[in-house]
Amino acid sequence: MISVRLTVNGRAVERDVPPRRSLAEFLREDLGLTGTHVGCEHGVCGACTVLVGGRSARSCLLFAAQLEDATVTTIEGLTPAAGLSALQSAFRDCHALQCGFCTPGMIVAAHELLAENPAPSREEIRAAIAGNLCMCTGYVSIVRAIEQAAAARRGGSLP
Amino acid sequence: MTTWVGAPVPRKEDARLTTGRGRYLDDIARSGLLHAAMLRSPHAHARIVSIDVSEAERLPGVLGVLSGAEAAAASQPIRPLIPTPTPLRDWCLAVDRVRFAGEPVAAVAAVDRATAEDAVERIQVAYEPLAPVVDPEAAIEPGAPLLYPELGTNVLWHDVLSYGDVDGAFTRADGVLRERFEIQRYASTPLETFGCIAEHDAGTDTYTFWTNDQRPGFTLAILAESLGVPQSRLRLVCPDIGGAFGNKRRPAYLLTCALLARKTGRPVKYLEDRIENLTALMHACNGVMDVELAYRNDGTVLAFRIRDIADEGKNLVSPTQHNLIKLGNIANGYRIGAIRYEPYSVLTTKCPSGANRGIGKPFMCFAIERTMALLARRLGLDPAELRLRNYVQPAEMPYTTPTGSQYDSGDYPATLRRALERFDYRGRRAEQARARKEGRLLGIGLATSVEPAGTNLASYELITGRRAASGSAEAAMVRIEPDGQVRAALGNPATGQGYETVVAQIVADELGLAPDEVHVARGFDSLGTPSLYLSGSYSNKFSVTDVGAVVGAARKVRDKALRIAAHRLEAAPADLELIDGEARVRGVPGRGLTLREIARTAYADVLGLPPGEDPGLESRHFHSNPLAAPVDERRRVRSQLVFSNAAHCCLVEVERRTGQVRILAYLVVHDCGRELNPGIVEGMVHGSTVHGIGAALLEEFRYDEGGNLLTSTFMDYLKPTALDVPDIDVDHLETPSPFTPLGAKGVGEGGSIPGPAAVANAVEDALAAFVIRSLPITPERVWSWLNLAGETGARRTR
Ligand code: FES
Ligand code: FES
Repeated sequence: MISVRLTVNGRAVERDVPPRRSLAEFLREDLGLTGTHVGCEHGVCGACTVLVGGRSARSCLLFAAQLEDATVTTIEGLTPAAGLSALQSAFRDCHALQCGFCTPGMIVAAHELLAENPAPSREEIRAAIAGNLCMCTGYVSIVRAIEQAAAARRGGSLP
Repeated sequence: MTTWVGAPVPRKEDARLTTGRGRYLDDIARSGLLHAAMLRSPHAHARIVSIDVSEAERLPGVLGVLSGAEAAAASQPIRPLIPTPTPLRDWCLAVDRVRFAGEPVAAVAAVDRATAEDAVERIQVAYEPLAPVVDPEAAIEPGAPLLYPELGTNVLWHDVLSYGDVDGAFTRADGVLRERFEIQRYASTPLETFGCIAEHDAGTDTYTFWTNDQRPGFTLAILAESLGVPQSRLRLVCPDIGGAFGNKRRPAYLLTCALLARKTGRPVKYLEDRIENLTALMHACNGVMDVELAYRNDGTVLAFRIRDIADEGKNLVSPTQHNLIKLGNIANGYRIGAIRYEPYSVLTTKCPSGANRGIGKPFMCFAIERTMALLARRLGLDPAELRLRNYVQPAEMPYTTPTGSQYDSGDYPATLRRALERFDYRGRRAEQARARKEGRLLGIGLATSVEPAGTNLASYELITGRRAASGSAEAAMVRIEPDGQVRAALGNPATGQGYETVVAQIVADELGLAPDEVHVARGFDSLGTPSLYLSGSYSNKFSVTDVGAVVGAARKVRDKALRIAAHRLEAAPADLELIDGEARVRGVPGRGLTLREIARTAYADVLGLPPGEDPGLESRHFHSNPLAAPVDERRRVRSQLVFSNAAHCCLVEVERRTGQVRILAYLVVHDCGRELNPGIVEGMVHGSTVHGIGAALLEEFRYDEGGNLLTSTFMDYLKPTALDVPDIDVDHLETPSPFTPLGAKGVGEGGSIPGPAAVANAVEDALAAFVIRSLPITPERVWSWLNLAGETGARRTR
């Protein structure tokens, strides 16, 4: 067991973890944050995407024990206490999800994009989510939703 | 009263799913839960000489190990959906022999997954390798290695189905076009893998399963038989399901967990990892199709002769369906007088095949639509014009094809015309000609399709000669609770289709409420959800059967509520209407009774009920689609029941230097009848089309000669990313089906059917001098066609 201290969704967390415990397992099983999903465990699908220090990362490829002093944000941390965030409501309005399994990871990836680039082009949106597989939607409505959320966050309307 | 059906209502599911509050299988906790891991065969074909589990059992944290022999002693063989000519015995774990690389031979239950996986590595198995059989054509040959020697062959079904005067049509034809096509193995690979939790309650001797199995009705029957437990002692629960597309079914895994749960006295969970999912769950059959098309020089298509070999892998659970289902779209949208279909369903030592979005129909459509493209080229006709000359006309609806499919409704010529116009087909042809002059390789591909929905299981009589299951049906319930609030449930667990929303829309309309006022149960629970053997999410059946079940249940409950209200208000039920949660006397403002008041009578003040009326306000309805009928004396059958249609247009550019294919524009015009929720429908069209594009350009389960899968991770089994697919433009016509309660037709399989053909036709159009006979069209293959012409490329594409 290795002792690790980090911040998850704004809360200080301290736990003993086995060396081979992935961050995804740590979040889901030790902290009960099951919004982070696991789709491949080999770093391709992006379902497990979380923010580590504000940058998107694949929680299936990180060990919990590596994250001493890190700041981790999951979908739960991007969800307002009441209602939905701009991205979440745009996903709902645009029918940007079907089974919803990819959705938390998508929203985390989109959140990172909009934090850096408040007015991304469609191409930039597609590039930003190219590491997140969605098997259901064909991406069209996801791209629309991110565009709409970007506009809403800028306080403007859609082009 | 239809206010909500037809509106793009935002989904009820999305508030939880966008916030990480969905509850999928892996999110379910049970106290004392054990985790299972499977030992899987490294050989494609081998005899199991011995298994020694003692070292695994000794590992601390391991509570139970199950070998194939033990499973065979403790359970019955798994009954196939389609009986084989000779009864074959196949248990949840391999016994004596393994028949594909990745087949489970033993399972371990331990305190956590890592321990279970460690223990699996300590199981010693001695194998005696046998010759694998990987190619389906080789598997047919006499002397081929046999998966089941007791069967005497690898062929599970071979038949010649002849409809109309086929030979006469070929004699009268001006010409015959002959071509051979191949399809690769691919799968829809839902993002959530397949799994289950099994729990045995020793006190009541009951079993509970939590699983993302998409066909609970059928699975419950299998579990009862194989466990030797009455079905009355089984409960099956489906939580949120992270996509399914046909892939999510493997009763063997549920059985393995149940046996481990019985053995250890603890709940046992198994969830595939991605490699297990790609290696061993379910692939669409690969196959080979020889097509002969008899035509007249004016482009009239007279007849088809088709020989179709489907490679089932080691599929004993649901074999023959990839062949049989093709009867549903073998004529596509065309008026074809005569068809001969010669199916072969063949076992090989590869991953079991099974249902996958479109099952068999993408390959059927690929072969027909590729043949039409080649015929247009041969006759010097525009491919759109050739299709328009052959379509079934709207005035002919309902139209019966030679094989017995009934096209219920639709306007195929108008669908294509709308597509050509919206795609600016003429303008794009001119653009293509200009680009050619600059040396750029642009291509335009068309493919049009019918999309059958709802499987009539009686069609399997064609194979077995007797009927085990038949028809197409589903169950639903609607209940007005004692406080007047409404709850509904459906025997079909949603796997991403938004049923909670659509069912709420339908019930809301029937009861005069808003969808937000109707709570629809998530998933499925056999204790509370009415169900049938036929229940589940498969064959595009929601519009064909499920809608009828929901409408029926809602109307029964509405009628009862109105009878109660009429009695209380001393009015005739016919004079009442349900609006805004209230039964009102038409034309008499202020005279009404709220659902809450009606419910109080129904549940509490039962002496206030009309004479002879039972208490309670709940109804269940089991809807069977009336179109389902047995096989007729000419061996014709409505294998599927209701038909949508679509036209796809695709513009690609092929990069000469790299062989890369880029999709520059993609249009779908489709007609799925009444759109119950256009927002959901559009998503289905996008998603299914991308499944077609993935199969066309990227996805392939490749095996080596030894039967080893070479593409077993998402690093080598490539799925389309957001950068690989275009913004798909969608338009639609809306021709309601006369044979479904609300006029809706299937939409789930959608673009997966014509998509591969549309892309291949476009690439072939760009390359001009080559014939595309197989998929996927990868850059390396395109490059070799362009650069090594005359060697492998032009003649055979693989
Ligand atoms: S689960 Fe981490 S990338 Fe797929
Ligand atoms: S919504 Fe199902 S994987 Fe994206």
